[in-house]
Amino acid sequence: MANAKEIQNRIRSIQDTMKITRAMYMMSSMKLRKAKQQLENTEPYFFGLQEQISSILYHFPYMEHIYFDNRSKDNHAAPKKKGFVVLTGDKGMAGAYNHNVIKEAQRLCDTSEKYELFVVGELGRQYFRGQGYPVDEDFRFTATNPSVHRARVITEILVELYKHKELDEIYVIYTKMANSISEEVEVQQLLPLKSHQFIKQEMLEKAKKKKGNYNGAQGLQNSKFDYGNAFDDTDRIGVYENDEDFFIYPSPKKVLKKLVYNYVTGFMYGALVEASASEENARMMAMQSATNNAEEMLKELSVEFNRVRQAAITQEITEVIGGAKALKKKKKQVR
Amino acid sequence: MSTFLLKIVACNRVFYDGECEILVFPAYDGEMAVMAHHEQMTATVEIGEIRFKLPDGTWQKAIVSDGLIKVENNKVDILVYSAERPEEIDEFRAEAALERAREQLQSKQSIMEYHISQASLSRAMARLKGAHGYSSGK
Repeated sequence: MANAKEIQNRIRSIQDTMKITRAMYMMSSMKLRKAKQQLENTEPYFFGLQEQISSILYHFPYMEHIYFDNRSKDNHAAPKKKGFVVLTGDKGMAGAYNHNVIKEAQRLCDTSEKYELFVVGELGRQYFRGQGYPVDEDFRFTATNPSVHRARVITEILVELYKHKELDEIYVIYTKMANSISEEVEVQQLLPLKSHQFIKQEMLEKAKKKKGNYNGAQGLQNSKFDYGNAFDDTDRIGVYENDEDFFIYPSPKKVLKKLVYNYVTGFMYGALVEASASEENARMMAMQSATNNAEEMLKELSVEFNRVRQAAITQEITEVIGGAKALKKKKKQVR
Repeated sequence: MSTFLLKIVACNRVFYDGECEILVFPAYDGEMAVMAHHEQMTATVEIGEIRFKLPDGTWQKAIVSDGLIKVENNKVDILVYSAERPEEIDEFRAEAALERAREQLQSKQSIMEYHISQASLSRAMARLKGAHGYSSGK
């Protein structure tokens, strides 16, 4: 059994650590609140963009566009170069947050032939570089305090690579909060956008508006039938789309280009904010449990400390009594 | 005068949501105006200044970054990266951003960086223009 002094030192050091974890908990909870607010603020913008892409694609379902997956070359099975954008934290101490993202990214890397990693966050970058994965060295962004500007720069880089066909597909791997306790890793295809997904969404909305006069599949066929030749007009200035007098200015291609750019930026921003909220949430929980553990340890240690102290006192008393007895015996013998 | 519903959504907030009589926005090749019962339309919005007249006759101004506008059933949605009132713009910050963008444009760089700094340059200029009009026009 350790002596009282040692235990006391231990108690003191645990108390100090507890102060740190408690402070980190408070900081994370504040940052989390901020990130949640940011996330809420971007929602109307993001949903608005989604709606607009849907409605344009609905009106021009045959428009072949570099940003959408209905290009004819997508149907060929040639190996594609994939870009993975991985969002990790800058620091550890956030429970399993970073490990989960890294694990998922590794799994995806191992199943694809050609790929390149774009890592946001220092921790993930260090890890992947250490393991010898192909990481883009010029892609350096921190994960804390996400800003629209950063999202815009990231988008510019990715879209540029995509346009020059250095990447065929771009995925984003990030963490999403399912609720305030649990979070899960999300993998989303960023580019090319899945056009049928948007069209389907628009179909559903139209169907809702018309109170189910037709079902989605029928409507899709109708629209293909009607607008089959509309895509010849895509680069003309100011296009009218015959059926509903849908005016697009200056041209569908230009509008769609801007739309996609803004959508990707909006998505990137959303992912950055979501990831940072998850990170803070994970850190908050990790620090909470660390503080709890420290409290428990302190309780045990204080019991042990009392026991040791008691033992020491008892021992001292026995020694004193023993000494006194010995003295008494000696006196008796002398008499 | 009849009105329509205008909604300006920026990346970080809903800038305006309410009735409006006339709206002027910077389009691809000049300014465009939208009044009530405009035909259905989708168009791009460039970096610049948006003006809109409220039912009580006052004009409102907003400095916007690029985005899109959608007109449908007497409802107008504008989606832009950022939207600010002239009085909200920090002139010092905008000036610093202008300086920075100019410097970046001058230094040798890749095409991608060129695009970014050009966009920041026009954003900073639009902000300064809007803020100037506000402080001197009063």
